[in-house]
Amino acid sequence: MSGESESGGGRSARDALERLVGLSAVERLLISLAALVLAVLVGGVLILVSGRVATCQTAAATYFGVGFCYDPIQVYLVLFNGALGGLFALNDPALFNPNWNLFNFGLALTLKETTLLIFTGLSVAVAFRAGLFNIGTQGQLIIGALATGVTVFYASALVPASVVGGVLLITLGVTVGAVGGGLYGAIPGALKAYADANEVITTIMLNFIAARVAFVLVSEFFKNPDSQVVETTPIPDFGLLLPVSSVLPFGFPQGGDFSLIALLFGLVFVGALYYLIERTSFGYDLRTSGLQPDAAEYGGVDAKRTTVTSMALSGAIGGIGGAVWVLMVVGRWQTGVPAFGFDGITVSILAGNNPLGVIPAALLFGTLKSGSLAVQFQTGVPKQLVGVLRGLIILFVAMPEFFRLLGSRVVDFDTNEKTVTTDGGSVDDTGGDDDE
Amino acid sequence: MSNANADAQSTLRNLSYRQGLAVGTVGVFVLVGLLGVIFPGSIANDLFRIITSRSTLSSALRLSVPIVFAALGGIFAEKSGVINIGLEGLLIISAFTGVLVTDLVGASSSVFFVPAVWVGFLAGILASTLFSLLFAIVCIEFRADQIIAGLAVWLIALGLAPFAANVKYGSPNSDNLGSAGTFDQWTIPVLSDIPVLGAVFDATPVVYLMLLAVPLTWFVLNHTSFGKWIQASGENPKALDTVGVNVNRVRYAGVLLSGVLSGVGGAALSLSLGQFIGNGQTMVNGKGFIAIVAFLFGNYNPIGAFGASFLFAGLEAVQLRLQQVPGYAIPDTLIQTVPYVTVIVVLALVGKTKIPKAAGEHYESGDD
Repeated sequence: MSGESESGGGRSARDALERLVGLSAVERLLISLAALVLAVLVGGVLILVSGRVATCQTAAATYFGVGFCYDPIQVYLVLFNGALGGLFALNDPALFNPNWNLFNFGLALTLKETTLLIFTGLSVAVAFRAGLFNIGTQGQLIIGALATGVTVFYASALVPASVVGGVLLITLGVTVGAVGGGLYGAIPGALKAYADANEVITTIMLNFIAARVAFVLVSEFFKNPDSQVVETTPIPDFGLLLPVSSVLPFGFPQGGDFSLIALLFGLVFVGALYYLIERTSFGYDLRTSGLQPDAAEYGGVDAKRTTVTSMALSGAIGGIGGAVWVLMVVGRWQTGVPAFGFDGITVSILAGNNPLGVIPAALLFGTLKSGSLAVQFQTGVPKQLVGVLRGLIILFVAMPEFFRLLGSRVVDFDTNEKTVTTDGGSVDDTGGDDDE
Repeated sequence: MSNANADAQSTLRNLSYRQGLAVGTVGVFVLVGLLGVIFPGSIANDLFRIITSRSTLSSALRLSVPIVFAALGGIFAEKSGVINIGLEGLLIISAFTGVLVTDLVGASSSVFFVPAVWVGFLAGILASTLFSLLFAIVCIEFRADQIIAGLAVWLIALGLAPFAANVKYGSPNSDNLGSAGTFDQWTIPVLSDIPVLGAVFDATPVVYLMLLAVPLTWFVLNHTSFGKWIQASGENPKALDTVGVNVNRVRYAGVLLSGVLSGVGGAALSLSLGQFIGNGQTMVNGKGFIAIVAFLFGNYNPIGAFGASFLFAGLEAVQLRLQQVPGYAIPDTLIQTVPYVTVIVVLALVGKTKIPKAAGEHYESGDD
């Protein structure tokens, strides 16, 4: 709509914008990969150092004549292998483990984490694209999950216990989760737009508030009378996203809490969001208000409203993440919601805040998270290692200049940059003509 | 000329608005007091008694320590032009290191006649300072986005402290070091006998340290040439560069000071308890972010930041006491949200703060 009224100047601004995004895509991918490698290396050093502090019977590794309780290489191998469910035979001449089965617990765990991280990563990415740091995905996920847990439980008494009833309940649950998370996300958006309150601080505060308010609501009004812990009454099985193996003779084990339908839904959702951000006028407003707020305002974008809508959208996606957590993993709302929201920050930053990039980033971080359980079990290295990696990755992605300096020492960066520019230009030309 | 005039006017408006807020806050307390006197036995009466009790003042001072020190540190960093949103992470890392080193030394032993608690305290400060150095290098040398790098500092500490605690203690929480690994009360004779206000003179050494640090910070910022450099580095780095002061060096100093001061706050927090708690959001529980709002509320003035921190800590202290008063149907957990809600309300009321002009931007000297 607004595109037609744009002058030539406006169009060239748009071209420049798109070239900027296109240009940095390759560079961003390289930076993400480099950051990941560096984080893993620093994590390795940390494992080694903590291996000197920890106490153990026999040293797991000896480097430079000094014994260490933990062997970083072994730890990462166990991590990767654990995330795949033991595909490889470690400490054995054979490469593959003959007893490996595709539908194993470890892989189910990896995919479960991936599914949830897709939603939280998308949530953070959408806000980032609008120039907003939504650190509050965690709180929005908690509120969305609570809305889903309570609503679906009460609604389950009203629908028949059948496939149709299940579809109705799940649709209802996801919708309610989105509304809950969206409203909770709109609060910092409105505070930012109309009171100029920094969204980083307000969203962090709202995380603390969400956890406590949800706790009180459940313990006072929605508590499962048969349970010792603070949780809502379990939703009957027909209203949940269950593993394939619950209806078919094959599929991932029940205890893995992974539903293929949820993952497919997540993938479709990524596509839809990509289209929304990159191809619609709403997405254009969102991106310009993020990149050049003044230009956006000049071009007729209501920046305040865009801020509120973007945060609500971001919160809604976080809320859907919460709904999926309830419907696929726990089957109820439970206190002590895992930190999927904070992991989402890392996923989004790894993905360069690109919705499509969220898929590999979520898979990667899901692998780390799932493998960390095997690491703790098999090597004794605490699973909190992933928490450290989460921060390190963000730190390294934040310093592209470091890699640029590093890169310029290895290759002549000037010539490199030129080839990228001509590449980007020709790609842009084919895509840009449709608008006229 | 007219520009300067408008600037002065907006400063004035800003100031009176802030004063309005402060007066409003005091007004609420007076109202609670009045209601308490008029209706004995009501919740207002109980609140009034809690607010004016000696033990509330004492715990408010204790709870202020980490927030005040982080806020003072935040002022130095942000005034110099580097937004340090990672204060929370600095508090976490120093809180853990303080307890860890005290424990490694042996809580009841000493090194060169320095008791273990103080060795741990210094180690906590050192850890936080090293972390802030890392943050400074990333931001100044490698021109990282300061907000993202600050978040990274927070998240790294949030992962690292429980990780290390797990390696050493087999749980995200450290062992409790007992009274030997905890700061003692220093009671000043006579003065501590004053009713209610005597709590100020019957406190841990870190409370006295805080009461010293606030005026000292104010003096350094406003009355020394170093303070002037810090301010210029954030407001007008070009001018500072022109008179031959290295802007980046001043910024390093600002960020490192934020590390030192946050380190004092974090180590004081854990060593006042004798234990590090690393569950969930750790024992720091958002104090670093509350500190940011405190110095924004205080308009980058150390005295104002102290007032705001004391307000937030006071709310926390009242909240803790209120939990012990039986007979109210309000769940404890809900009362716990009061300080966080207040932070949001304050931030919304303060709105756009007069952030240093060059804060958040990388400064490139024209020399090379």
